[in-house]
Amino acid sequence: MAAAAAFFGRVGAYAYFVGDFVVAVRRHGVPWRLVLQEAYSIGVRSLPILLIIAGFVGTNLALQGYFAFKPLGGSRLVGMFVSLAGVRELAPIIAAAMVAAKAGTEMASQIGVMRIREQIDALEVMAVNPMAWIIAPRLVGIMLVLPALTVISTFMMVGAGLLVSVVQLGVPGEIFLELASQGISAPDFLYGQVKALIFGLIICTVSCYFGFTCERGPEGVGKATNQAVVTSAVICVVLNYFLSEVFYGGAH
Amino acid sequence: MSAPPPTAPAPAAPPLPTAAPAASAPLLSMAPMADNLAAIGRFGVFAGQVAARALRRPFFWGPLLAHTWVTSVRCLLPVVAVTTPFGMVIALEGLEIFGLFGAQRMLSSLVSVAVLRELSPVLASVLIAAQGGSSCAAELGAMRIKEEIDATEVMAVDGIQLHVVPRVLALTIACPMLNVVGSFSGLAGGWFTAVVLKGEKSGIFMANLWALATPMDVWGGAIKTTVFGAVIGLIAAYHGYYATGGAAGVGRAVNDTVVHSVLVFITFNYLLTSALFAGATP
Repeated sequence: MAAAAAFFGRVGAYAYFVGDFVVAVRRHGVPWRLVLQEAYSIGVRSLPILLIIAGFVGTNLALQGYFAFKPLGGSRLVGMFVSLAGVRELAPIIAAAMVAAKAGTEMASQIGVMRIREQIDALEVMAVNPMAWIIAPRLVGIMLVLPALTVISTFMMVGAGLLVSVVQLGVPGEIFLELASQGISAPDFLYGQVKALIFGLIICTVSCYFGFTCERGPEGVGKATNQAVVTSAVICVVLNYFLSEVFYGGAH
Repeated sequence: MSAPPPTAPAPAAPPLPTAAPAASAPLLSMAPMADNLAAIGRFGVFAGQVAARALRRPFFWGPLLAHTWVTSVRCLLPVVAVTTPFGMVIALEGLEIFGLFGAQRMLSSLVSVAVLRELSPVLASVLIAAQGGSSCAAELGAMRIKEEIDATEVMAVDGIQLHVVPRVLALTIACPMLNVVGSFSGLAGGWFTAVVLKGEKSGIFMANLWALATPMDVWGGAIKTTVFGAVIGLIAAYHGYYATGGAAGVGRAVNDTVVHSVLVFITFNYLLTSALFAGATP
């Protein structure tokens, strides 16, 4: 029971934190000149790892789809499988997971260090609202770059799937591309963008929450970073199911 | 593997709240490449030391059991919380694609192969890297910063043997065990979506569950996750054991642990999938 009580206590504290943040932004505004800087550091620094991971996920999707449909005589459907699974599900969630692992952990540990070195208190002494100053640019930045990263990871995933299908599995490239474009439609891309925006919101607020509530000492920073990535990944994956159910669940 | 070497001077003071972090250099210049190669070499030496000390007396059974227990318990909830929705999503999309040619009854074959071969091993390992690996790096990093590891060595106890070996072995043991849990919860998620939400027949789902999956899939998942667990443990221990630069250094070690271990085992995963399963499927 104590663990459950502590858990709900954390959920409540997080809700208060987000409420405080909204109030702070309404009162103090967003420091726009920091936004591009944050967007650059979140997007560009997450890009190389995202490209590598999305590429390997695409290759595995192609292997999976090929072997799953082969017994039905549908091994050529691999293109449709890769594009459907890639565009709808995996590209948004992989981009979100990598940004949580790279940028989210960085946010949590930077803010945690600011907290324990009392730099956040120093900001308040200088009459700068720390929530508006620290979180708002990161939030706007992540919501600018995460949809873009999702598009990039979609192309990387389908491209890697195409490469493996043609080179390793011997599926003709034209058939792959034709079925890939049949499997999806324009709204699928749009829903992926909506997912990316929601994931960005979650990753940024959760990571900043753990950074702001960081405990003293080096263990405190380590723990905050650890909890930030686990919590935001779990919330994103669970939300992903519900979003997919809403966007695609009624389709058949 | 771009952790600073153990002897590197402490990095400059952390950035002001407004300054962009200046930790990483531009992508394509030669100096960081040389640094990365050197870091990979240091990692290799570290892994060799860990392996050598794992085989040498004394064995610290107590810490090994304690770390295995703590890691498994800590990672259990995140693994279940991630594999279940993913199993549900696979069933959701699978129903649509099999519905194209009226073969919804084959859904469970796809779900079981996907969950056993790929989803559960990879997702369980990602979550173990994020939870178990990063807390291992955070603990070791904090011990390094507070000079507890030096204190251990002063007492003539080998720091790697006491602190690192049990943690690495614990992750290696916990990873395949959690994979079994993840497989069950992924399949349960798929069953829930197909049967309870979408009204497929439970009997048909169960009957086709093992139509395509083979014992090799289960063993393949176990082999994969054992390799991934060892990789996560070694990377986490490397970053934590050689953490420098105070509290910020611990945060950086945790960050690097998650990113590098996910990077390494996603790469391994493609190779292992091709090697283990490509020949095994009819």
